[in-house]
Amino acid sequence: MLKLLDKISPTECPKLLHRVVDGLCGRNQPKRLEYGETWSLLEWGELISSLTYFFRVAVGRKCSDQEIKELLGDLESAHSGAVLQCVHARQEEIRQALVDRTYRICSTQLDDFNWQLKLALSSDKLSSLNTPLLNLSLDLTEDGIQKAVNIEMNKEELNTLITTLEAANKVVLQMK
Amino acid sequence: MEEVDRILIHSLRQAGTDIQEDVQSVKQFTSELIVQAVVRCVRVIDPALGSGLSPMLPPGMSARFRVGMSLAQACQDLGYKGEIGYQTFLYSNEPEIRSLLMFLVEKLPRESAEVSDQPAGKSALLQKAIAAQIKAQLALPWLPPSCRLPLQRKTQSPGPCHSFHAQPLSLPYSLKVPAKKQSKEVKDYWREYLLPVTSQPSQAASVPASLLENHVSELSAAQEWENEWNNQGLLSRLTPEDYRSRKRMRMQKRIEEQLRAAAQPRPDSHNATRSTSDLSELLNSFAGATTGGDVLTKGTRFTHSEKFTFTQEPEKAAQQMAAAASALPSSHQSEEDLKVQQEAEISALQQQLQQLSVQMEEVGGDIRQLTVSIHQVSDELKQREVLNLEQENTVMVKKQTINLLPDAENNLIKLQSLVEASSKRVVHLATQWEKHRAPLIDEHRRLKELCSNREMESSRKLSEIKELHDRIRQCAEEAKKKESLYKQLITEYETLPKDVCRSAYTMRILEIVGNIKKQKEEITKILSDTKELQKEINSLTGKLDRTFAVTDELVFKDAKKDESVRKSYKYLAALHENCSQLIQTIEDTGSIMREIRDLEEQIETENGKKTVSNLEKILEDYKAIRQENSALAAKIREG
Repeated sequence: MLKLLDKISPTECPKLLHRVVDGLCGRNQPKRLEYGETWSLLEWGELISSLTYFFRVAVGRKCSDQEIKELLGDLESAHSGAVLQCVHARQEEIRQALVDRTYRICSTQLDDFNWQLKLALSSDKLSSLNTPLLNLSLDLTEDGIQKAVNIEMNKEELNTLITTLEAANKVVLQMK
Repeated sequence: MEEVDRILIHSLRQAGTDIQEDVQSVKQFTSELIVQAVVRCVRVIDPALGSGLSPMLPPGMSARFRVGMSLAQACQDLGYKGEIGYQTFLYSNEPEIRSLLMFLVEKLPRESAEVSDQPAGKSALLQKAIAAQIKAQLALPWLPPSCRLPLQRKTQSPGPCHSFHAQPLSLPYSLKVPAKKQSKEVKDYWREYLLPVTSQPSQAASVPASLLENHVSELSAAQEWENEWNNQGLLSRLTPEDYRSRKRMRMQKRIEEQLRAAAQPRPDSHNATRSTSDLSELLNSFAGATTGGDVLTKGTRFTHSEKFTFTQEPEKAAQQMAAAASALPSSHQSEEDLKVQQEAEISALQQQLQQLSVQMEEVGGDIRQLTVSIHQVSDELKQREVLNLEQENTVMVKKQTINLLPDAENNLIKLQSLVEASSKRVVHLATQWEKHRAPLIDEHRRLKELCSNREMESSRKLSEIKELHDRIRQCAEEAKKKESLYKQLITEYETLPKDVCRSAYTMRILEIVGNIKKQKEEITKILSDTKELQKEINSLTGKLDRTFAVTDELVFKDAKKDESVRKSYKYLAALHENCSQLIQTIEDTGSIMREIRDLEEQIETENGKKTVSNLEKILEDYKAIRQENSALAAKIREG
């Protein structure tokens, strides 16, 4: 499928490759609108997935230049040179992305978290409450489905959470 | 007195008393004002005591009297020593009121002086800021969303609703490799294809989040490394690179152990040779495992076994399914038949599965046995080989001795000479060795000592470095604390009321002190003057007495002889008497003058006490009370 890459001119090629690597690292994939005339929808999908797969394999197995060339097969030399250069330039980034993927060995993963500290000045029964509240929002991925979890905690609950997390951190430190 | 009054009025205003602008001195205070000022002060000084007092003077006379009594009681409870009663408030005179107010103002707590020393008032500051903000926002009118200006949009819109999403960023620098040493490809990428950081994330809203995340992760990594390096790295006496590589090795070993323990509960002995390559291969298989099956082609024992247990079964099952499906007459079969068939199939498959697993276990056991036996056999082989070698050696020696046997004597002599020569050589070598050894040992000792010295020094320096680190951290913390305190004090200073002109007060105080000094000097001057005068008077009276006595004696002696002298003696006595009378009179006049002055002063103070007006007031109040009383009595009679 990498042969489809020959349809694009060698000068345009590195840009596409870098955008594909961006997609691999968790940012925007290249947009098909820009390349709509070069490839059909089916070809586009195949090209992108095979390129992504190729990058993963090339960096993940720490392939030498020779091995990469073998993986690329009978691609035009200008294109294969561009691919090689891209792999060299982005090696560290791709490796980091792969390491991040490897971390995700649990069914539920934490993508992002955010917190807001709120001060409840009064309630419906008390005129001056002055209780700090923490609003913790977690973005989770559970079996590939994203969902958001919001928790509101007062001081004691937050302390419990923090001590639990510290205990977990201690276990991690002991592993080191 | 004006200065004092101004300060008093200012403090009373701060305590919450509502004093009009045109009231300039204590003389102008009305009874209502006095009561209000005293109640406010008492409330500030002691809230529990002041809560029972009302700042307003009631219209009823008896009620007024009661208010005056309770106020006087409260002031005495606070520790006022002067004369005080209901009359102080109702029929006021200036000096009493002034001294009472001065006492109360001195008792007012000086909160600002105490608070400014502590930086801990953060929560109070925060609450003040919140209150100010809310007040400001409440003051703004609500506007429909389309009419809002940017300022109002900030406070009146429901706030940012997008959540915090971070994405990894690609930045043209690296912590690990300095920019100059980066390879050409990386530099080309940075120059030609790297997007600006604002257009890297898929949504513009996640740019700040991503940047923050990036920064925080780098910062925490750096901090953690620094912490670890300071705590453990320095003590290990390695360079950072060595420490890192050693740690990596340790981690790899641990992970390997864990993985192996998880993959095979009973580790086999022959596996040890392959275990070093295990981890990298395992990582490889993780890297691309999700998308491609062919990544698993070169797997480890772990992946193999995994494949064996998990992939092979479905494959076989699928094959059988296909076979079963082809065997089925496809279309006209009732659902029940299908179900029954499927169940049968399932049970058959399960049976097969069990069989296969049993088979597998058997085969595994066989393999294990075989590997154990192989090991044993190889051990035996090695032992045999060793034995063989030994025997060959003995055979060789024996062969040589047999060869030497025919010419035994000659050979014996030769052998003896050889032995002697070799023993001599040994002795020679030993002496030579001793010669070499002594300096070498000395050198060794010296070096050892040097080494231990260095070690001691390095450990000393290490502890010094640690101490320095601690000190740096402490200093930084202290500096931070001081800075925050400074900021807080500055804000506090800005918020302080500016109407108190401190410098003017201090100037005035200094002036007053100077005046007092001057007055004191004058008083001492006058005192010394008076003393001198007294002395002069004393000496003069003494002189007069003595002169009179001498004259009296002389004249008295002559008086017996001469008539005219007797007359003059009489005159002298009369003169003396008259003079002493005169002096007496002058003294009396002085004391009377003093008394007059005292009385005048008393009159003045009495006049200052507004006695007449107060008396009139008292009379009026007395009449009012009588009226009230009679009204009450009438009411009682009516009731």
